[in-house]
Amino acid sequence: MQPSPTTATRTTAHVLARAVNTPLVKALGHPWVESIVRLDAVEDALSALHPLLSLTQVRARVLRIVDETATTKTFVLQPNALWASAQAGQFVRVQLEINGRRVERAYSLSSRPGARRIAFTVKRQDQGLVSNHLHTAVSVGDVLTISQATGEFVLPDALPANILLLSAGSGITPVMSMLRDLKARNYGGDVVFLHVCRAPDDLIFAAQLQALAADFTGLRLVVHYDASAGFFSPQVLAQHVPDLNTRSTWMCGPAGFMDAISAYWDTQGFDKQLFSERFVGAPLLPSTAPGTPVQVSFANSGTTFTTSGTDPLLVQAERAGLTPKHGCRIGICRSCQCVKTSGTVENLQTGEVSSAPNELIRLCISTARSDVALAL
Amino acid sequence: MSFAKPTTLSREQVAEFEREVNTIRDSVMNNLGQADVDHMRNMIRISRASEIGGRALLHFGVGPLSWVAGVLALASAKILDNMEIGHNVMHGQYDWTGDPALNSQTFEWDIACDGEQWRHSHNVTHHTYTNILGKDRDLGYSLLRMTDEQKWKPRHWFQPLANLMLAMGFQYGVGSHDLEIGRYKHGAMPKAEFKARLDRFLTKVGKVWFKDYLLFPALALWSAPRVLAGNFCANLIRNLWTYLIIFCGHFTEGVAIYREEDTRNETKGDWYIRQLSGSSNLTGGRLFHVMSGHLSHQIEHHLFPDMPAHRYPEVAPQIQALCRKYGLFYNTGSLYKQYWTVMKRILTYTMPPKRVPV
Ligand code: FES
Repeated sequence: MQPSPTTATRTTAHVLARAVNTPLVKALGHPWVESIVRLDAVEDALSALHPLLSLTQVRARVLRIVDETATTKTFVLQPNALWASAQAGQFVRVQLEINGRRVERAYSLSSRPGARRIAFTVKRQDQGLVSNHLHTAVSVGDVLTISQATGEFVLPDALPANILLLSAGSGITPVMSMLRDLKARNYGGDVVFLHVCRAPDDLIFAAQLQALAADFTGLRLVVHYDASAGFFSPQVLAQHVPDLNTRSTWMCGPAGFMDAISAYWDTQGFDKQLFSERFVGAPLLPSTAPGTPVQVSFANSGTTFTTSGTDPLLVQAERAGLTPKHGCRIGICRSCQCVKTSGTVENLQTGEVSSAPNELIRLCISTARSDVALAL
Repeated sequence: MSFAKPTTLSREQVAEFEREVNTIRDSVMNNLGQADVDHMRNMIRISRASEIGGRALLHFGVGPLSWVAGVLALASAKILDNMEIGHNVMHGQYDWTGDPALNSQTFEWDIACDGEQWRHSHNVTHHTYTNILGKDRDLGYSLLRMTDEQKWKPRHWFQPLANLMLAMGFQYGVGSHDLEIGRYKHGAMPKAEFKARLDRFLTKVGKVWFKDYLLFPALALWSAPRVLAGNFCANLIRNLWTYLIIFCGHFTEGVAIYREEDTRNETKGDWYIRQLSGSSNLTGGRLFHVMSGHLSHQIEHHLFPDMPAHRYPEVAPQIQALCRKYGLFYNTGSLYKQYWTVMKRILTYTMPPKRVPV
C-alpha cells in the first residue's frame, strides 16, 4: 500500500501562472507557430529579461547557503511561480550545466511542505561532479533550474499513531522535512526521530533539531554517534526504540544501512510498514563482463528482450524482432540515437563505458554492459 | 573527373594514417567544454537578433537603403541558421551537451527542407556514401552531370540553365532531395512511401511560405509588397550562398569519385582517405568560415562530422600536414578559384563525351 499523499497546497501565484502559461506553451508548441517563433527563443528572451522568468521550467534563486557541517551545505531557494509545492519527503532534480554539459541530480527537500522557500542539503562527495560544483561554484543570487517535487516517499494524509523517522548521514533531509510537516500539522501522536552520524560535528540541522525538540511534545529525539557509541546495528536500534513493532517507519540513509534495517524488519516479521528512500550515495551501476546476458527494455513500446554477446544494441534489437530507426550503422548519422534512461553501455568505437542516467547513445555503436532501459 | 586511383599507400600506412587522424580527433573531442556551447549559443543569439533587426527594418523602415539593410540582415540570419547553426547542430555536434535546444534529432530550421528528411539525405546517405557514384545522391543532386561516368543524356544540354535554377532555388532542391523522385519514377519506391515523403516536404514548404510570403507581409499592411520582396530577396541570397559553398565542397577539380565495389570492406583509414579526397576546402577569414557554417573546412567536416565545426580551423593545419606526410592531395583554394573549377566541370559535362577512336 502506498501512503495516500497529502494534496499539495498551491499558491495563488502558482494557479495564476499555470492559467496563463499552459495555453501559451500549448500554442507555441503548435507546429505552425513553432515554425515562426520557437519556444526556445521565447524562453531565452524571457530569461534575458529576468532569470526567473520561464514558461516551462521551475527556476529558483539561491537566497542563502548555510554551512551545516564541514562537508554539507543547505541551499535555501526562492522558486518562481511555476513551482507547485512539495510533500514532505519528496525530492527535486537539480539541473546544472557544468563545463557545457547538462547534469542532473536528485536532492531531497528538507523544507516544510507549503513553505514559500524551499531548501535542499548537499553533502560534498569526494569525486562528486555535481556536489562539488554546488559547493564551490554556486553562490547566493544564482538561479538554478529544478524539477517539480516528485517521489513516493511521503507521509500519508491520515497519520498513524506511532511514527519512527530513521536516518543516517545526509539521509536526514527528507525525514527532516517530514518532522517539520508533523509539527506544522500539530501531530498529536508519538514520534521518534532517530538519526545516525559519525560525531557531533557531522550532525546536520543540529540547531533546528534542538529547537523543534523543545516545543514538540510528542517528539523524542535520539542521535546515535557511531564514533563514540559504536557501530549502529538493527539491534542497537531496537535498544533505542523498544516498541519498534508499533511504529510506521520512514527511513533514509546509505544503502548498507537501509539493507540491514529492511532485513531486520523481515526477520522480525514486523507488521507496521517500513518506507524507504534510496538515492543517498547511490552506488555506481556495476558493469558486467562483456557478453554476459542482460535485459534490454524499450520503455515506450513496452518490449523487453534478453540478449548476450558484444554486438551493438541495434543488431541485438533487430535479432529480437524489433526495428529501431537507423541509417548508416557506423555511428555517423545519429538516426539510431536515443535516450538510455538507465544502465551501463560501452561505446564500441571509443571503448568508453558509461552508466550516467538519461544519456544519449547511438544504438549502432553501443553494447550493453548491464541491464539497459531505453526510451524507445 | 574520374574514379579515384587505388591509393599508393600500403595497408600499414593506411592503418598508421587512421591512428594519426584519430589522435587529432581525440585531442579536440576530449576537451569539449563551455567555450563550445557558448560559441553555439552566441551564434543562435546573433542569428535571432539579426532576424528581428532585418524584419523590423523591412516592416518599419523607410526608403530603399533600409530595405537593403533589412534584406541583408534577414539573409544573414537565415544563412547562420542554416549553416553554422542548423547544419552543425543536426549533425549531432552538440548532442554531448545534453541541451534539448541543441539536440540533433529534434532541431528544425528556417528553410524549405524538412529537418527529418535532411537528416536522412544528408547524414545518412551523403556522409556515409560520400562520392560513391550511384549511392551518394548529392553528386550533382541527380540533376547535373559532373563526371564522365554519368551517362550523357540530351537534357544535359540544358545543364548550365539547370545549374542556375538549382542555385536560385537551392532550398527547394535540398528539400525535395530526399523524395528520390528518380527512384519513384523507376518504380523502385512504393507510391505510399513517396506520397508520405512528398506530404512532409510540401508541409514544410507551406510553413516557410506562410511565414515569409503571407503572414509577415500581411502584418506589414500597406508595406506588404516591400516586406514580400524583402523576404524573397533574403531567401534568394541565402539560396545562392548555400549553393555556392556546398558546390565548392565536393564538385571542384581534383575531387575523387568512387565506385561502390572499390569501397567494400574499407577500413576506417580507407574511409578517412575517401572522405578526404572527396572534399575540398575554401580559404578565408573567420567571418567567412562562420558564414559558411565552417563548410569551408569541408575536408575536416567529412573526417569529423560530429566535431563542433568551429574547431575545424584548429585541426585543419594538422590534417594538411598529415596529407603532406602521406602524399595525399589536400584540396583547398579561394572561393573564386574553387568555384571557377566547379563551373568548368559543369560546362565540360554539358557536352556529350567525344568518341575516342579505338
Ligand atoms: S545508424 Fe547511423 S549513427 Fe547509428
